[in-house]
Amino acid sequence: MRGYRTILVERVDLGQGTTGRFHGLLHSGGRYVVSDERSATECAEESAIVKRIAAEAVEDTGGLFVTTPADDPGYADRFLAGCLKTGVPVQEIPAAEALRREPRLNPGISRAFEVQDGAVDAWKLLWGNARSAEEHGARILSYHWVTEVIREGDRVLGVMARDNRAQEMVRIEAAFVINAGGVWAGEIADMADCPGVTVVPGKGIMIAMNHRLVRTVVNRCEHPGDGDILVPIRTVCVIGTTDVKADSPDDYSIDRAEVQQMLDAGEVIVPGFRQARALHAWTGARPLFKDERAGEGGEDTRHMSRGLALVDHLRRDGVSGFLTITGGKLTTYRLMAETVVDAMVEQMGDARPCTTADEPLPGSEDGRHYWLGSRLAAQEEAMADDQLVCECELLPRRKLIEAARRRPGMTLDDVRRALRLGMGPCQGGFCTYRATGILHGLGDAETERADELLLTFLQHRWLGLEPILYGDQMRQACLDDWIFQGTLDVEHLPVAVPA
Amino acid sequence: MIGAGLAGLVAGVRLAEGGMRVTLVAKGVGSLNLSPGVIDVLGYAPGRVDAPREAIGRLVAERPDHPYARIGADAVEEALAWFTGRVPQMRYRGDGPRNLLLPSAVGVPRPTALAPASMAGADLRGGGRFVAVGLSGLKDFYPRLLADNLTRADLPEGATVTARHAEISASPRPGRADVAGQVYARALDDPPFRAEFAAALRGLAEPGETILLPAVLGTARAGEVFDELQERVGLAIAEVPTVPPSVAGMRLNTELAGAFARAGGRVVLGVEAVGATGADGRISGILIRDAARTRELPADAVVLATGGFSAGGIELDSHGALREVVLDLPVSGPPEGVPPLSERHLDHQPLMASGVAVDGMLRPVGPGGEPVWDNLYAAGTIVAGAEPWREKSGEGIAIAGAYRAAGAILEET
Ligand SMILES: Cc1cc2nc3c(=O)[nH]c(=O)nc-3n(C[C@H](O)[C@H](O)[C@H](O)COP(=O)(O)OP(=O)(O)OC[C@H]3O[C@@H](n4cnc5c(N)ncnc54)[C@H](O)[C@@H]3O)c2cc1C
Ligand SMILES: Cc1cc2nc3c(=O)[nH]c(=O)nc-3n(C[C@H](O)[C@H](O)[C@H](O)COP(=O)(O)OP(=O)(O)OC[C@H]3O[C@@H](n4cnc5c(N)ncnc54)[C@H](O)[C@@H]3O)c2cc1C
Repeated sequence: MRGYRTILVERVDLGQGTTGRFHGLLHSGGRYVVSDERSATECAEESAIVKRIAAEAVEDTGGLFVTTPADDPGYADRFLAGCLKTGVPVQEIPAAEALRREPRLNPGISRAFEVQDGAVDAWKLLWGNARSAEEHGARILSYHWVTEVIREGDRVLGVMARDNRAQEMVRIEAAFVINAGGVWAGEIADMADCPGVTVVPGKGIMIAMNHRLVRTVVNRCEHPGDGDILVPIRTVCVIGTTDVKADSPDDYSIDRAEVQQMLDAGEVIVPGFRQARALHAWTGARPLFKDERAGEGGEDTRHMSRGLALVDHLRRDGVSGFLTITGGKLTTYRLMAETVVDAMVEQMGDARPCTTADEPLPGSEDGRHYWLGSRLAAQEEAMADDQLVCECELLPRRKLIEAARRRPGMTLDDVRRALRLGMGPCQGGFCTYRATGILHGLGDAETERADELLLTFLQHRWLGLEPILYGDQMRQACLDDWIFQGTLDVEHLPVAVPA
Repeated sequence: MIGAGLAGLVAGVRLAEGGMRVTLVAKGVGSLNLSPGVIDVLGYAPGRVDAPREAIGRLVAERPDHPYARIGADAVEEALAWFTGRVPQMRYRGDGPRNLLLPSAVGVPRPTALAPASMAGADLRGGGRFVAVGLSGLKDFYPRLLADNLTRADLPEGATVTARHAEISASPRPGRADVAGQVYARALDDPPFRAEFAAALRGLAEPGETILLPAVLGTARAGEVFDELQERVGLAIAEVPTVPPSVAGMRLNTELAGAFARAGGRVVLGVEAVGATGADGRISGILIRDAARTRELPADAVVLATGGFSAGGIELDSHGALREVVLDLPVSGPPEGVPPLSERHLDHQPLMASGVAVDGMLRPVGPGGEPVWDNLYAAGTIVAGAEPWREKSGEGIAIAGAYRAAGAILEET
């Protein structure tokens, strides 16, 4: 938007990092009013902007902070004072009114506060931003893994990236390189010989439940803790999360004890939570910034700041043409971008103003928020003349084919991130075979690759299923086994079964 | 009989034919409507099985907790011979003691003991030339994937396969993009659409080629549909089973339910069995609940055929506790010290083999091996110790187990 020619490089697919592994909450700021005032204010301001510029990706659910019988009753007053101090809009409502709006809520709640939380669909947000960038002339190179930051003396000149699809190295020369590698930002700073940018992976688990047990985001009115937020998003609601220092940002393993912890936590907010059907679990790692040179310590990731961190490598390391932006929250993504690009134009001595807070993303021009019926309404118009590839997520064949034409060589995980293939209750039980057949039929995937796509997708879905198999989802998993192994015998396809 | 799947229906037919008064209660129709309609006995153990009877012998020697160890290999053969006579319209074909090797819809040569005549013609053991034909309105069949994988398939020594693909647009709902398999099947029962369909197939294949079609060739009149299509097209045709809802599975369900009704059996659908009454080790009645009330159905003997996890016979709660839903029988889960599930989806998943353990008479037993009730039997996927979708053993276990359980009841009374 500021008129630069830009290239975005991503090692896998858009949303395969932390942005696709978060909780879904567009923060009103309420969560941080006591513990992290700057983040609270940033969230309040930015969530209002995101609701405006990315309306299509946001459901304006509203939020509640409630004092459950398990919470310290004294926190509520500090919460209220914090909201006033940080500028987070809040209104106390009678507990009975909260229960009227949310009948499943713990009937023992003593106080309730209304805030302006929302639910945000990461993939819609990403694709909206990507399309906007492309309309302004940017190029997006996914499956390009940066392996080297090219330096000449004190200047950064560009990067070397491995194109993991064409299996070749690509050299990208640039007047400026911005490192927005999230939890991997330290690795990239190291590549530029700017050591000590430590991004601690604060790992958390989330579980999507098959129904919207609540209509508004529900937060426990307590110091931020584990499993204290329930976010209704699209057709599901997501319970989360934990915060544990991980050894590696690429550790996506799911701890069964944490699954149990989340289910117990869900019971506190919505009694009977364990009887609901769990759909899928995942983990992500927060980029929690710690500058070794600044000597900031601490191992307890829950208490590390959620504030964004701009690292000016010119001042810090004497290296020009290179900036790092990390930390922050999804809610403050736009502010992070504005901050780092402001720093860039300053270094380049080329003051051009930022317009991202004003210009809506493509698809959000009418300012209408996503609502639960959006997808069905769109689908009903076309119902008679298309095949539904994925019934759970209402994905028509035409959309899959269009996507394949636009982005040849997608994996089924790429299709899922773009079109929600396999994210519904049956977790790919019916659509996996169809999508494989369609991509193969188009010639987009030759046979061996098609077989690999199918098996890989099943394996990847399994990683998020296996830890939460009980009740109806266990039942579903066994039906899916009957389909893929029983009827189709996919385990004997003539390719190696993916690890 | 509790449960209207393959096991419940088979036990019901045999008992009713043996002169018993049989009532079958079930929450809903069984899993047959979802199944491919072939009769698997043992397809992998873990390598591909050519001769199931011998392979069962080796399997039970290694795995004494496998359902076949209780049922016995002899019973399997006897039960299958009896069974195929009960469903003559399915026209089951096999190759004596050897498995057939039929293409799955993704083009994997899949071993099975018996298949309807409409499918058996695709036996890959001798190789062959095939044209896989898709239907433009059917989203559950991808002929190109089937054909291309078939040409790469792992076949017995000396067998070679060539396969190509085609598509026809003849449709019972012209202009509609999404047409379910059952809709094709019902339309093909009627001669006018059958003629149109045959005309569309003509010219797609050359002499010597076999046409592979999704298994949607008719419902009630499937035999007639198949014969007539082959005759009109002048070439061999073979059906390939589809993912659920499976028309071939529905045919079997309908015919077997018909056999049960003809033998005098009574079916009560839409009720849930919720417990039993009894004393001195014998059940005297099953408690069944419908929308209105719970009542007792008196019984001299009971066969529990409620299926495994997928049918709802066994449940796992969020704390990891296993439960048999009707009678709260002891459930045999993964052994102590064994990880219940593997991170690799296609590996052995011990938890999924959970079920009730049975004795040599197919009676559910407690931890000490003693029957829980003297007159309670279990058959089908609810019996512990197998992952039938991996082994390709589901129908064999269900049919032979139910046949034996019914035999034990007939002997007792
Ligand atoms: C459990 C959890 C819950 C959260 N919940 C919320 C919430 O509810 N609301 C909220 O606002 N925020 C939440 N967050 C925080 C939020 O998700 C993150 O702050 C945000 O998504 C980070 O975005 P990012 O663009 O900085 O990082 P990322 O999304 O991780 O993007 C960095 C990208 O860089 C790529 N990359 C890394 N190395 C290379 C390389 N060498 N070459 C090329 N590409 C590379 C990665 O693949 C990745 O896609 C949560 C975080 C976690 C972990
Ligand atoms: C707000 C929100 C709501 C959600 N709701 C649902 C829902 O309703 N239903 C649902 O099913 N899921 C839901 N999810 C979870 C979602 O399906 C994913 O599990 C989660 O977003 C992480 O996705 P992922 O695409 O990064 O990879 P995952 O699904 O976690 O799995 C992919 C695995 O493969 C690996 N992988 C994939 N591609 C590559 C590659 N090219 N190179 C190396 N490794 C690779 C990854 O390391 C990972 O282990 C939701 C997620 C969020 C954030």
